[in-house]
Amino acid sequence: MTSVPQRAPLRPAGQFVLRAGRGSSFLLHRRAMTVAGALAVLLVGAVVVSLCVGEAYVSPGEVVRVLLGLPSPDELVVGTLRLPRMVTGLLVGAAFGVSGALIQTVARNPLASPDVIGVTHGAGAATVAAMTFGVTSYAVLPYVSVAGGLLAALLVYLLAWRGGLAASRFVLIGIGVSVALGSLTRLFVTKGDYLVAQQAKTWLTGSLNGRGYDQAAPLATVLLLMLPFLVWAAWAQRGSAFDEDTATALGVRLGRTRLGLSVVGVVLASVATGAAGPVDFVALLAPQTARRLTRTPHVPLVCSALMGALIVVVADVLARRLLSPLELPVGVFTALVGAPYLMWLIVRTRSSRTGGTA
Amino acid sequence: MSRAVSLRVGWMGVGLLLLVSAVVLSLAVGSRAIAPSVVWDALVHGGGSDDAQVVRSLRVPRTVIGVLVGVALAVAGTVLQGITRNPIAEPGILGISQGASLGVVCAIAFLGVHSLTGYVWYAFAGAGVAAVCIYAVAGSGRGGATPVKLALAGAAMNAFIASLISAILTTDARALDEFRFWDVGSISGRDASIAGQVWPFLLVGLLLVLGMARGLDALALGDDIARGLGRNVALLRATGALGATVLTGAAVAAAGPIAFTGLAVPHIARALVGPQHRWLLPMAALLGPVMLLLADVLGRVVVRPSEVPVAVMTALAGVPFLVVLVRRKKAVAVA
Repeated sequence: MTSVPQRAPLRPAGQFVLRAGRGSSFLLHRRAMTVAGALAVLLVGAVVVSLCVGEAYVSPGEVVRVLLGLPSPDELVVGTLRLPRMVTGLLVGAAFGVSGALIQTVARNPLASPDVIGVTHGAGAATVAAMTFGVTSYAVLPYVSVAGGLLAALLVYLLAWRGGLAASRFVLIGIGVSVALGSLTRLFVTKGDYLVAQQAKTWLTGSLNGRGYDQAAPLATVLLLMLPFLVWAAWAQRGSAFDEDTATALGVRLGRTRLGLSVVGVVLASVATGAAGPVDFVALLAPQTARRLTRTPHVPLVCSALMGALIVVVADVLARRLLSPLELPVGVFTALVGAPYLMWLIVRTRSSRTGGTA
Repeated sequence: MSRAVSLRVGWMGVGLLLLVSAVVLSLAVGSRAIAPSVVWDALVHGGGSDDAQVVRSLRVPRTVIGVLVGVALAVAGTVLQGITRNPIAEPGILGISQGASLGVVCAIAFLGVHSLTGYVWYAFAGAGVAAVCIYAVAGSGRGGATPVKLALAGAAMNAFIASLISAILTTDARALDEFRFWDVGSISGRDASIAGQVWPFLLVGLLLVLGMARGLDALALGDDIARGLGRNVALLRATGALGATVLTGAAVAAAGPIAFTGLAVPHIARALVGPQHRWLLPMAALLGPVMLLLADVLGRVVVRPSEVPVAVMTALAGVPFLVVLVRRKKAVAVA
């Protein structure tokens, strides 16, 4: 790519500075921007495909007409049936992607995804419990799942804290707590009446079936509200990706930064789980693939979001069409891809103690 | 008898007493509480009363299967912890049980096998493949099979197989109907004949494992010392893994995947009778059914009139145990 200007020796190679008034500036990574652009293009393509395919095929031209609000015979199929579901998937993927990026940054470990540290299972258990006890309002459920996710994360954190937070202990206890919460969820499913149980069961595999704006709205709201935090996070994560000594020397207040980043990450994963159930491994997969593409030293937030959205939209298309007329939950597909990836990650992780962000 | 030995014999006696009490509880407690004397009557004299019917046709098979599965899982866990020298090794955590489930699902969905003696072989195959994969993943890379890598690889394997299973079941409604039985591990509603079909496999698994008790003791000292003692380390590991796989496969074929029984029981047994496997294995075999039956009885009581599957109860009881283990063991923390 272009050569680094000679007069800016402090500027890292391949990056340029975006200044917004005095004192606030951003380092933008050129390659990351290219990747983000490419991902965005792919995402638009996936979105169109997702709206085209289904029980009845709709041509891309008609899809675009519907999206532009022009009159079309496929208004019902595309606009009413497929669009809400696709939008939900998009938002869920983006939220999981960002959440994974934040939590992996804080833990400085690619294995510490929200799935592994109990967040999604906590949100899932809380949501199913609420459903069992007759709460079905989508105005309430998102709060329930956020509370569940935060509580689970807090529990894992407290249980794993022992004069420090060794990554291995954190991950092991996270897995244990996840299993317990999964069992608790099944207990609630057993207790609830049959219809609720069926509903909860489908939801628990991470499905976009029957999801729509009802589920997407709270997620969109949270994402919008979190946007300022995310901008801050993008700035703060550079500091927290360093080790303690370097960060402190650079004047980054690690404790507060890390706490802030993890809370944002946990909230995002919890709301996403509340919307579509625990769509496994997206939060693990998206940041890692994004990071490999951008080759940035830190986990890229925007690319992780785009990658997460892309993964979920594509997986949902596959889940709907591969075995048609039968429909698989989208979580099945993300797990089939994500689990082998996690194993590969385990094989090539140099040492489980440090883990590294690699 | 030295003091240490009599102490161990004493604990074995306590274990046996616990097992008898658990069996009595399992026969007496349920949606219909039946007095132990009536249970005894029904067992010994038969009779046609409702209580006697319930005891003989429902609770006896359930209890017998609970005992068999409890023995199998606890012994499998003990052996896995022995051959991996890893405190958190267990068939459920490592995804071996889930692998056995996948074998059963495939047998039902694709091969039209519908009897336990038919698909128990597929359960073995599934368990074996999963065990080999897990160990290959966790054992490669620097540091070998540390607890974290083993647990993570197991979690990944569990998730992978679970999604494969749900993909297969979505496409095959009849298999789903048959498999719901195993979906969540449970020992309720099992046919009495299952116990009769499964015990030979358990016996083979137990014999394989008991024969290598001394070998497991040698392995505990480290591979080099075990070799120095004239043991064939690779052969020991292979035999142990085979035994654990057979036991897990048989247990899953009979009752579905039940996690955490094989995690907690060996540690409790070790605390009582020490690390020598010729004491440890029998003690685990006594305590395994105790834990499983108590969890099952508890599951019948907590959400009356419905029931909680025993696998849910063992997980809820076992996870705090895992947490304590992870916090206490230095080996786990620094691995």
